[in-house]
Amino acid sequence: MGELNNVLGFPILSLSIFLPLIGAAAIWLFVHNDQAVRWSALLVSVATFLVTLPLWFSFDTSTHHMQFEEFHPWIETFNINYQLGVDGISAPFILLTSLLTVICVISAWECIAKRIKEYMIAFLVLETTLIGVFAALDTILFYFFWEAMLIPMYLIIGIWGGKNRVYATVKFFLYTLTGSVLMLIALLAMYFEAGNTFSILALMDYPFSFAWQFWIFLAFLIAFAVKVPMWPVHTWLPDAHTEAPTAGSVILAGILLKMGAYGFLRFSLPMLPDASQYFVPLMVGLSLIAIVYISLVAMMQTDLKRLIAYSSIAHMGFVTLGTFMFTQQAVEGAIINMISHGFVAAALFLCVGVMYDRLHTREIGDYGGVVNVMPVFAAVMLLFCMANVALPGASSFIGEIMVLIGTFNAEPVHLGMSTKWVAIAAATSIVLSACYTLWMYKRVIMGDLTKDTVKSMPDMSVREFAYFVPLILLVVWMGLYPLPVLDVMHVSVTHLIEQATTSKDAVAQALAQGLPPTGMH
Amino acid sequence: MANITFPFPFPVILPVLPEIIVAVMAMVILIWDLFLPAERKQWTAYAAIATCLVAIDATLRTTGADAQMAFYGQFVLDPFAGFTKLLIIGATIYGIVLSLDYMKSEKNIGEYYSLMLFSMLGMMLMVSATNFIIMYLGLELMALCLYVLVGYQRDVLRSSEAALKYFILGSLASCMLLYGISFLYGLSGSLDFAAVGQALGSLGDNSSMAVSLGLVFIIAGMAFKVSLAPFHMWTPDAYEGAPTPITAFMGVAPKVAGFAILARVVIDALPSLQADYVTIFSWLAVLSMAVGNIAAIAQRNIKRMLAYSTIGHVGFILLGLIAGGPEGYSAMLVYLAVYLFMNMGAFAIIILMRREGIQGELLDDFAGMSKVRPGYALAMGLFMFSLAGIPFLGGFWAKYAVLIAAVHAGHLYLALIGILFSAVGAFYYIRVVKYIYFDEERVAFDFSENPLMQATVAVTAIVVVAIGIFPQPLMDICRAALGGIV
Repeated sequence: MGELNNVLGFPILSLSIFLPLIGAAAIWLFVHNDQAVRWSALLVSVATFLVTLPLWFSFDTSTHHMQFEEFHPWIETFNINYQLGVDGISAPFILLTSLLTVICVISAWECIAKRIKEYMIAFLVLETTLIGVFAALDTILFYFFWEAMLIPMYLIIGIWGGKNRVYATVKFFLYTLTGSVLMLIALLAMYFEAGNTFSILALMDYPFSFAWQFWIFLAFLIAFAVKVPMWPVHTWLPDAHTEAPTAGSVILAGILLKMGAYGFLRFSLPMLPDASQYFVPLMVGLSLIAIVYISLVAMMQTDLKRLIAYSSIAHMGFVTLGTFMFTQQAVEGAIINMISHGFVAAALFLCVGVMYDRLHTREIGDYGGVVNVMPVFAAVMLLFCMANVALPGASSFIGEIMVLIGTFNAEPVHLGMSTKWVAIAAATSIVLSACYTLWMYKRVIMGDLTKDTVKSMPDMSVREFAYFVPLILLVVWMGLYPLPVLDVMHVSVTHLIEQATTSKDAVAQALAQGLPPTGMH
Repeated sequence: MANITFPFPFPVILPVLPEIIVAVMAMVILIWDLFLPAERKQWTAYAAIATCLVAIDATLRTTGADAQMAFYGQFVLDPFAGFTKLLIIGATIYGIVLSLDYMKSEKNIGEYYSLMLFSMLGMMLMVSATNFIIMYLGLELMALCLYVLVGYQRDVLRSSEAALKYFILGSLASCMLLYGISFLYGLSGSLDFAAVGQALGSLGDNSSMAVSLGLVFIIAGMAFKVSLAPFHMWTPDAYEGAPTPITAFMGVAPKVAGFAILARVVIDALPSLQADYVTIFSWLAVLSMAVGNIAAIAQRNIKRMLAYSTIGHVGFILLGLIAGGPEGYSAMLVYLAVYLFMNMGAFAIIILMRREGIQGELLDDFAGMSKVRPGYALAMGLFMFSLAGIPFLGGFWAKYAVLIAAVHAGHLYLALIGILFSAVGAFYYIRVVKYIYFDEERVAFDFSENPLMQATVAVTAIVVVAIGIFPQPLMDICRAALGGIV
């Protein structure tokens, strides 16, 4: 381990990981009044968000090397280290996490009636594990946070969820646990093959032969596909979303789903380039199924949250498609899409939460004509529905158009057909997402006031409006001027594509035959 | 002053000091109990705890980096024996603390604690044995006391039934063990582990029927004692029927002793048969992990569920023994140490919990506990997640260590099967969490309020989390504990 690249000379990543945890412990021990719990949770989450801000302002966009690095030996017996660092791919997600946690805390202010203290603690602990996942540079540390995340999420859905919450949370737990177990196997396999190292950076450089890459890729695929989620292992998501409390859905859609795609970017592509190329047809196929088939499924939903959940799966199809195109535009588009979806899906779930808090139903048929009683809310929801459709001017437009252009221009080796057809098939999503989103909007918001229950709905309070403001600003800002975000990730993505398109198998074969390694960069 | 000369060489007794203390105190408590008025019988429990603490101190003081022999080489105190003794004594302290409230209403409670000390003495003797007879003596002392303890609640039918089953099957297992030992004695002319090992090594012909029979019978006898499938049949019944503190005690301490002596036997006496015992152990491990983790899913009684969970865990621990070498044996010790804490913690919560004055033992009885006692609920959740092997808790590193060791030793498939069954196992552990956190309370809780037990639960939970976050010290200790044997 050479010099640590940390411009601040201060363990800012550790602080942002452990501040929520310490805050949660303090609340558990010292705060016993419900109102005080709310304020202190808000204080902790805002403080964490402020702590993560230097990741944006002090970020060096000219290098693909890890920044804000930290390194401490942790378990020497197994060569496991507490190694942290971020590059242009992971830094935005940490910011997204700390921002969404603040919003979650505010959104739970009134609607969580029972056990608010435990609820806030669970969210702060969840924040710790999520930031940990994105900051970890040691695979076991990564796994550590990845798995630990299950516990607060399991409790959040199981305690504060809807009627069928226990079924949903057990399903969520078992699906993701099975995937994680396979990931652990893959991590151990890489550890043994690469000479007893868990360092993500070292594993990126180790020349795995194709046979190794093949199996490790499959294990990772299952682990990440469950999290993304990709068809056909997506079935836990609609249940989990439907039953989770609003803020649970927000974190689930905003951050948790990104972890799977982040796994592809951090592990599969750079560590297993040959296998990633080899599996392009499979990944493209699954992504297109998610985009087209799941969009059609979304159209037929009668439950608002289920509809948005399916819409999330379809949008994540765009992300996996862009990821496996190996072009600068497509991968950057995929990341923009992830961030943008973090705002948009989070906002849509918050919108549903606002309505649910008033009528306590998620059925589309129970609403109608909401615009007459909640004009401000209708405008806000319209904005996010348009963003969900990827209307120009919204952040999702940038992401989707970049994925489509990148796909159109890509030439993956193993696909066996022109990617133009793939791009055309994926483009149908623009029509399909418009269908299900706008149809939903029409049935819920527009029309005449025919239901007495809807007539009594008050418009948004200031508190409710407050947590939409940052999301509105971010969606529009990224939609109109995405350059700063692209700048952050640009060099890192270039480096990632270079890694993903350089064959490791050739190096491994050369090494096996005793030839000097060539082709390593 | 004239030198006192003994007519015979005075035996070396320093290494046996902890055992001597325990033996003397167990007898003292037994007699003292007779003179105590009924309302002060509880004092015997505190005396037993004090004995254990003194024994820990004596063990720490007498154990050195080198092996010390006593009784003409039949007894050894090396770091391995010292460390496993600490685990055994620790498990006994837990057993006594958990009994404080639970056994309050029993008469003549002094003999109960005395029996626990004798059982502990048997185990301490066992892990220090370098000779099959000493090992057998220790094993029988441990087992005989446990048979009585399991059936201690004479007026409870379930308890008596469990004791009888345990006794009959246990005696059969002891017979098998002795029978196996007799084969090895016939072949080598010695009962000393090292001498047997040398004799078997020079035989050269491993396929001899006598060698195979000896090996198989010894393994079968020991597998029974540590409840490895398919020799696990007694476990669920004995666990369910025994007084709960005894269930906790016998779920951990005899396992530690059994695995420790098994490791010593295979290292010293059976090195030439490594290929054979590894094959047998592999099947036992796979079967145990499968039977334990699958059968546990169907249980409604938490004691029965934890019985099957134990079977699954001993399958994992056996992986460490199969892997062998410093890495494998130290992984086994790590697992045993972590298992001690998480299992004891879980049982402590079961004992603390009462429903309308009746000891709650069904999974349903946990429903809604988090609303009444968030602290206990959190602790139980941590123990369950730790048993399931979720990271940041000790159980993860225990599983991790044995799996890594198994892969390094070339048993990739065993490791994969282990990972698979740990995923299956997660299901029934998180189901307990489901009851605690998600279900509504049905019957009123009536928690036992013993401050010593509450402190024990808190300390145990902290230890499980601490090992989960900083496993390195424990791993170092376990590696150092191998000083005497590999």
